[in-house]
Amino acid sequence: MSSRSTRQWLALRLKDNWIAAALFAASAAALAATQAPVGFVRDESVYFVAAESYARWFQHLLRAPAQALTDNDIVRFFDINHEHPALMKMLFGLSYLVFHEWLGVLKPAAAFRIPAFVVASLIPAVTYLFGRSLFGRKAGLWAAVSFLLVPRQFFNAHLACFDVPIAAFWLLTAYAFFRAQRKPLGWLWCGLAFGAALATKHNGWFLPFVLAPFAVVRGWILSRGSPEARVWFYRFVGLYAGVGALFAVLWISEGPRRFVANFTALSPASALLALTAVGTVAILRQLRWASESLFRALAPLGAMAILGPLVFYLHWPYLWHHPIDRAAWYFDFHATHVHYAWFYLGTLLRDPPFPLDYVVVKTALTVPITIFLPMAIGLGAVALRAVASVARRWRFFRPSFGEALVAANAVAPILIISHPNVPHFGGVKHWFPAMPFLALLGGSCVACAALSFVHALRRRRRALSGGPVAGLLSALLFAPALVATARNHPYGTSYYSELAGGLPGAATLGMQRQFWSNNVTGVLDWLNAHAPPNARVWLHEVTGLAFQEYQLNGMLRRDLQAAGGPWDAQIAVYQYHQEFREHEMNVWQAFGTETPAAALYLDETPQIIVYQRE
Amino acid sequence: MPNPEPAAGSPRIRQLRILSLADFAVLTVAAVAALYFQLSLPGRLPTEGDYRGVAESLAKESKNGDVLLLYPWWAERARLYVPRSLPVVGYLGSDTNPLRDFPRIWVLAQPNLPRSDIKAFERRFIPGRTALGSPRSFGNLQLSLYRNGLYRPAVFSAAAEHPSARVYIEEPDHRQLDCPFDGKVHRCPGPEQLRVDQEWHEVLYEPRHCLWMHPPGGPRRLVAEFPSAKLGERLTLAAGIVGEYASRRQPELTVTHVVVEELTSGRRLLEIAIPPGREGMQQAETPSQLQLPSSMALKIWVQSDNPALRETCLELFSDRSATP
Repeated sequence: MSSRSTRQWLALRLKDNWIAAALFAASAAALAATQAPVGFVRDESVYFVAAESYARWFQHLLRAPAQALTDNDIVRFFDINHEHPALMKMLFGLSYLVFHEWLGVLKPAAAFRIPAFVVASLIPAVTYLFGRSLFGRKAGLWAAVSFLLVPRQFFNAHLACFDVPIAAFWLLTAYAFFRAQRKPLGWLWCGLAFGAALATKHNGWFLPFVLAPFAVVRGWILSRGSPEARVWFYRFVGLYAGVGALFAVLWISEGPRRFVANFTALSPASALLALTAVGTVAILRQLRWASESLFRALAPLGAMAILGPLVFYLHWPYLWHHPIDRAAWYFDFHATHVHYAWFYLGTLLRDPPFPLDYVVVKTALTVPITIFLPMAIGLGAVALRAVASVARRWRFFRPSFGEALVAANAVAPILIISHPNVPHFGGVKHWFPAMPFLALLGGSCVACAALSFVHALRRRRRALSGGPVAGLLSALLFAPALVATARNHPYGTSYYSELAGGLPGAATLGMQRQFWSNNVTGVLDWLNAHAPPNARVWLHEVTGLAFQEYQLNGMLRRDLQAAGGPWDAQIAVYQYHQEFREHEMNVWQAFGTETPAAALYLDETPQIIVYQRE
Repeated sequence: MPNPEPAAGSPRIRQLRILSLADFAVLTVAAVAALYFQLSLPGRLPTEGDYRGVAESLAKESKNGDVLLLYPWWAERARLYVPRSLPVVGYLGSDTNPLRDFPRIWVLAQPNLPRSDIKAFERRFIPGRTALGSPRSFGNLQLSLYRNGLYRPAVFSAAAEHPSARVYIEEPDHRQLDCPFDGKVHRCPGPEQLRVDQEWHEVLYEPRHCLWMHPPGGPRRLVAEFPSAKLGERLTLAAGIVGEYASRRQPELTVTHVVVEELTSGRRLLEIAIPPGREGMQQAETPSQLQLPSSMALKIWVQSDNPALRETCLELFSDRSATP
């Protein structure tokens, strides 16, 4: 590269970094500016308490380190919500200490949520950089901006929960994996990003299954010309295949319980883990001498295998004294998660098997059509090209490594949740990790479409350039999503797209209208204005912790008392769910009236109904 | 994995550009349509003034015994506005409810909502009904009145007449444990759910103001006796398990039996068995050829070996055809 072209390259790279930084800052600012009316979802109210408890442990650690490191004290602070790893909750809690307790500049909920905004804002920034390197600047920008214009994603990005953070760390891991193919130290970032994903939510454990095939196929292709490299490649793959097979033999021969009980520091399983770590390092060192490009293909996997579990273990004090027992409990909890009722196309889904089409249909009905359509076309185009490229004459259609990587990550989280036995509650949040990748494919579709339009018109209008056309097309595509997001906020779990016919159309289709109880914020003003002093109020589906948070954050009068049900309440606030109709009947029965006193209707659909005792 | 691109201007590239140009057209059309949808949606919704207009009309024109049916079934904001004396019906499946207790039905429809299909609704609703006048519009609300040809006035309702019933738990040896009436509810000895009362409950999404009779468990029966039930042309028993419990199928759950007998002879008149997992109201009625006497002493009982999650809601009524 000449010095001039190097300068140009550096300038462009700097510009991209600035754009990514601007996207990050704009996203964080938008989330911070719009967080106040977002209600406290059921899980979040528990995470607030857990986060504060974890943060108190850090204070305890500073005051009495020896005592804080004992298992008794760790359990005292970390037992709450040990069904999820601690990373995000630690960040929420530390943010609460800093911004609420020490500086006093934010209300408790806003302080807890700051890390959620920061991590969520990584998505537009990383999506842009990923898209820029794969499909160009226009595609990257479209993909980045589109993420927060999906109303359900915008809503979830506000919450001190894990669904958007895991999407962020999944994206970061895949991007680091992609960059590691070119960057000397990329493998290290890939391993650390994977560790962050594991420390955020259990979805992260699926990442190696998505990325490993790419590493192996690429490694196999890159080692084709070098017998020495090929030998090390086989050794690397053999190590993991062998260790995997031996673990399977141990698991099958001992059974799950004995396997966990026998997994001690001096046990065959521990020896296998040590062999994996030592073998990985040794093989990768040799491999680097044999072929740098092959090393870059396989080292990210090695880093994920070693650093991922290491970060998972080290970040979570709850595991320190009993890593195997408690990790086993954690995996078992998620493998045997309960099923909650969920209304889908006029049917209440209660137990598996769930419909195979659920995830695809739900996505189609909850992503604005102008964002969903480019995503679907983009994904379809990659799939068609992959199929067509099997024929020799269409080989030029073959998707690139990056395109295939993006497509696989777009599909994998959807496939995982589509399994008929996987719990299907929770709207769309459980497959959020797919959405940035679908956005990238959508961005490539929009950029290609704009470019084709420019080419078609260039004979007549020579001055026409791609930028303004792509900008106009993007603005047109984003406009309906922006209108919908603005109209829908802060009731994100209720949004349905134009394809559904909006919320009224979705209600007629028989879709779940809301969940997680946050829409109750729509009637808090009425309660504050009309509830008698010290009234007993039953907020159906709202946890007692969330009730307290509404009071602590100045959203609900402090004199109001939480009632346990309609029978001991003066005011009942019912959340309309198809599976909860009996709760409303109980209110009618207890209060002697079927006429609401107030309600929250979104585009006519009943969401929150308030009854006052006669 | 390299992706060797063909030379620009090649026929393949031209074909790809044509495809992308088609994408451009599709995306542009979709964007314009979606924007139109989003911007026009608020104009398709009724205003508070529209509801107040409907409420005023109903306050003036509705009669005792009328009912208001909602279309779409879920669009129930009208409940905030309409006169309290007018029952409002709207639940998943309410389009096909015969509403046989009501001689006249007001239909409040929102034909301009997305996915509203008023013609399909009318195909389900109109048979047996006669429109009384033309529909009236209040903004995006449409109010229509119908004569209900499916109306069958009840001459006896166990739920409504439960205060006059004698209620007890019958042991296998026929001993009777009385459930005295406290002015509102018949309360039996034992757990709180052992009571008989007319209560609001949900049975497969439908609000029912029905007779709560929870089986006591084992071979014991919860019994309500009606010494002189007036009878019309037929006697109907409907019973279901309340709320989400109906869907449960755990192996430990047992069948719930609901039986109506002639009190004096012990002859079984009607019988329903509700197995675990059976949702909705089950119904049994006397054969049409059976001539019922003008009144009869009736006994209704509920039994389930395992009473867990068998919260039973039932209706026993006798009706006749409406006289013109």
